Amino acid sequence: MSDHASASSADAGVQEDLACTLLSKHFGDFTAVDGVSFSIPRGSFFSILGPSGCGKTTLLRMLAGFQQPDSGDILIKGQSVLNTPPNKRPVNMVFQHLALFPTMSVAENIAYGLKRKGVPKREHATLIDEVLAKVHLPGYGDKRIDQLSGGQKQRVAIARCLVLNPAVLLLDEPLGALDLKLREQMKIELKRLQREFNTTFVYITHDQSEALVMSDQVAVMNKGQFEQVGTPQELYYQPKTAFVAGFVGDSNQYAGKVQSQSGDAVTIVTEQGVRLLSHANQPLLAGAPVTLFVRPEVMQISTSRPATEQDNCLAVTVSRVLFDGAQSRVQVETAEGAELTVALPQTADFQALEPGRSVHVSWQASQCLCFVAPADTKPLGTQ
Amino acid sequence: MKFLRQFKVLTLVTAVTATFSMSAQAETLRLLTWGGYAPQDVVEQFEKETGIEVKITLSNNEDMISKLRATRGAGFDLAQPSQDRIVSAQADFDIYKPMDLSRIDTANIIPSMLAATKKNTEFEGEVYGVPHVWGTSGLIVNREALGTVKDYTDLCDDSLSGSVSYRLKRPTLIGFAFALGEDPFAAYGDTAKYQAILDKVEEKLVSCKSNVKAYWSGGDALLNLMRSGEVSAAMAWDAGGWKLNSENPDITFVAPASGALGWIDTFVLPRKTKAEDAAYKWINFVMQPEVAARITESAGNFTASKGSDEFVNDTLKAQFKQSFPEADLDNINWYPPVPAGLEEMEGKVLDRVKAAK
Amino acid sequence: MSKTSGNFNRTQYRLGFWLLLAPIVLWLSLLIILPHIDMVLVSLRERIASREYAFSFGNYTAFFTEPLYWNTFVRTAVMSIVATVMTLIIAFPVSFYIAKVLTGRPRIALFILCLLPFWVSELVRTYGWMILLRETGLISGALQWFGLADQPVEMLYNDVAIMVGLIYTSMLFMVVPLVTTLDSLDNSLIEAGYDLGGSSFHVMRSIVIPHAMPGIMSGCIVVFMLTLGNYLTPTLLGGKSSLWFTEQIYTQFITRFNWEQGAAFGILLLILSSLIVWLGLKITRQSFTRVMS
Repeated sequence: MSDHASASSADAGVQEDLACTLLSKHFGDFTAVDGVSFSIPRGSFFSILGPSGCGKTTLLRMLAGFQQPDSGDILIKGQSVLNTPPNKRPVNMVFQHLALFPTMSVAENIAYGLKRKGVPKREHATLIDEVLAKVHLPGYGDKRIDQLSGGQKQRVAIARCLVLNPAVLLLDEPLGALDLKLREQMKIELKRLQREFNTTFVYITHDQSEALVMSDQVAVMNKGQFEQVGTPQELYYQPKTAFVAGFVGDSNQYAGKVQSQSGDAVTIVTEQGVRLLSHANQPLLAGAPVTLFVRPEVMQISTSRPATEQDNCLAVTVSRVLFDGAQSRVQVETAEGAELTVALPQTADFQALEPGRSVHVSWQASQCLCFVAPADTKPLGTQ
Repeated sequence: MKFLRQFKVLTLVTAVTATFSMSAQAETLRLLTWGGYAPQDVVEQFEKETGIEVKITLSNNEDMISKLRATRGAGFDLAQPSQDRIVSAQADFDIYKPMDLSRIDTANIIPSMLAATKKNTEFEGEVYGVPHVWGTSGLIVNREALGTVKDYTDLCDDSLSGSVSYRLKRPTLIGFAFALGEDPFAAYGDTAKYQAILDKVEEKLVSCKSNVKAYWSGGDALLNLMRSGEVSAAMAWDAGGWKLNSENPDITFVAPASGALGWIDTFVLPRKTKAEDAAYKWINFVMQPEVAARITESAGNFTASKGSDEFVNDTLKAQFKQSFPEADLDNINWYPPVPAGLEEMEGKVLDRVKAAK
Repeated sequence: MSKTSGNFNRTQYRLGFWLLLAPIVLWLSLLIILPHIDMVLVSLRERIASREYAFSFGNYTAFFTEPLYWNTFVRTAVMSIVATVMTLIIAFPVSFYIAKVLTGRPRIALFILCLLPFWVSELVRTYGWMILLRETGLISGALQWFGLADQPVEMLYNDVAIMVGLIYTSMLFMVVPLVTTLDSLDNSLIEAGYDLGGSSFHVMRSIVIPHAMPGIMSGCIVVFMLTLGNYLTPTLLGGKSSLWFTEQIYTQFITRFNWEQGAAFGILLLILSSLIVWLGLKITRQSFTRVMS
């Protein structure tokens, strides 16, 4: 307990639980993490979102202490932990496959960390009961690990860490192994736990929905670097790079060239020859290759040409209806052969929509984004 | 057609193999013997002259009896146990077959040895063994210990701490008994008296166990111990001593003051011998003086073949003369047949010696 | 599928099952069970005169009344247990290193290095130790050359030499099951152990060893049985004071021609060693089926 007291006095002026500066890690020629810097405010839920192989796991393992960075620094509560071994760092980790000790009962799993921390034995029972109650598993202490369901194991793994009051809890895609329904429940549950314990969570995932639902802040990681750090809303509505725009949420993507620009409105001609109006947050040269992103839900679908003037309005043919309840979509095709995916409103008007029907789709220029396309990369496929 | 041809070839091969194996079976002599008793050149000459193939298995007294006991006398056509170990084994396990002396060229055998062996291997009116190789066991000593070791009990001398070796087997018990002034052979018939002698020997062996470097079990192991100088005095066979003497004159065989122990290895027919004719042929072949001399040179020991001495080289004869002046030769204690049951008593003594600290 | 063809398939399956089972049943009954039954029968008779035997428990009572035999067995068992424990202590770090630290080529190389001594026979291996340890051997020579000893040192023919030989002979049989179980231990469990504040010692004691327990026990059982049943190593390296129980059995069978006593000793060895293994499993609270799977 004494080290806790000293830790809290040392960090009196520091607002971040965790901060990294220019953190890098190489494996041979491969750069896994490339000069990443960030800081996480106390008590927030921070996610690192990225495709597999982007370096997020390496980053997390460096935070936990299982890997030593080549350069840069890691500060926990304002103090560098580079020379602190994993078992001495005030962080705990929920592993991808949870890593519950199968030879121990639930209570023993939780008591393991308490013992190592030197918490007096008589306090164990109370602490274990408390934390089990908080994760909604009261009275499960005597169960064996193999008697638990997937979701229950999840809770035990979290309880095992949170009982130690870590400064930061690291979570390595712990929901990956669960089925869809359970995953949805656990998202909410994790968020609740984070609020309740008021502990800083660092959560890594490749599932954008997990990151968006739970996080206060999300960092999108690609090729060892952070592309953008922001709230889920910022990432969704104001992506700063083409990668973020493509990776966060679903988008229709078109490669095209700039025809003209006036203010922040640009006219773009896509490869198929469709001419579109878009919003741009930077000046673009005429003829510059760009990628255009339009989210399915911003497009209005109507059986006749809309009465009000729209920035973009296309006459299209329905090629496929993808029914998925509230998430139903419809795929349409322009006369030029450009494909679009449009969200299908759940109104009676579109119940009878079937392939071959002619409809109109329209949206405002401010609702789509365009980025200069890197010369050598192809735009990502529609998600 | 192809099938037919294959079938023919197969039949032919089978037939040839069958004939060959049958002939091989009839013409093989499976010999259970000691190292050096059937040297390669003698075997080759025998095979050339008779067409009989000789298969040799090397063994020792206990092993021979155990092997034949396990098969109730099968698996071998001729065996060579020592003459004193035949009757008790036959009485207990019925593993041998009586010898037909009329089929042996007894003229080639030293009459006194033949007579002794006949007497010692007679069981229920039948004779089981004829003598082959004889020798003695006594002491092999290097120069360091030459002054001290005159008899078995001298192995317990304090100056030889940790540099003595012997076998943990019955010859050691018998040798020590003689050296302690007893006559164990005379007590063979009197169990109580024999036990008293054994107790005395046991006490002696236990008290001088610290002198022992190792109990040897194979001849080669002993020769190595002597050669390396790790052991300076050992109980062993005369032939081993003479062999070491030829390599290193500092090592010699010494006939103990209380008398060397004389043994005779014999020829015996296992009860289920399959090549009796071949066995008799082998016996008569190796007892020829010229062949016997070659065996003497190979084994290091003299044979019971009359007149073979003339063919033996001079070194061996000189070594023999040096180890056995006339008086010592008369002093040899020849092993009489061991009555059944004694070996169990001896076994317990050996076990206790082994277990002693 | 009609009912008849279903039946046909089932009989066919049954036949296949029995055909596959036949070799193992034959092997078990002809080479294991029948000889043991014969051993029991032989051990229960006593020679009363030449070629005459009578039913008796004498051979068994001899074991318990003659302190020599009893002591030999206790000594053999104690030495075997010590050898097993020492083998475990030496093999565990080696196995952990192979299973968890090394990867790729060095891992295979080290594993083969452990295997290498077993490409020669036990006899050759034991003679190798004799060459090293004997008074005129390599180690003694080296000690004198370096001036650490002023006269030849005899390292052979004592209990330590037996122990060294036994451990050396047993290593592989401990390393293989240990590497297998340690291999199956998820690395993240070890990391979790550290992450939750455990030191290397705690991670070993609370996570690695409990996980490896079945492997440890199966290794221990195999090594214990091999050591207890070893004949060559204790006899050759122990020399005059080897005093091993299998040597006692060998002596009874081969040099004493006392098959009855030898058979009784053999059966007693089987029963007593099984008892020791059972006790070991009880103490460590492992089940035999789990250990052997």
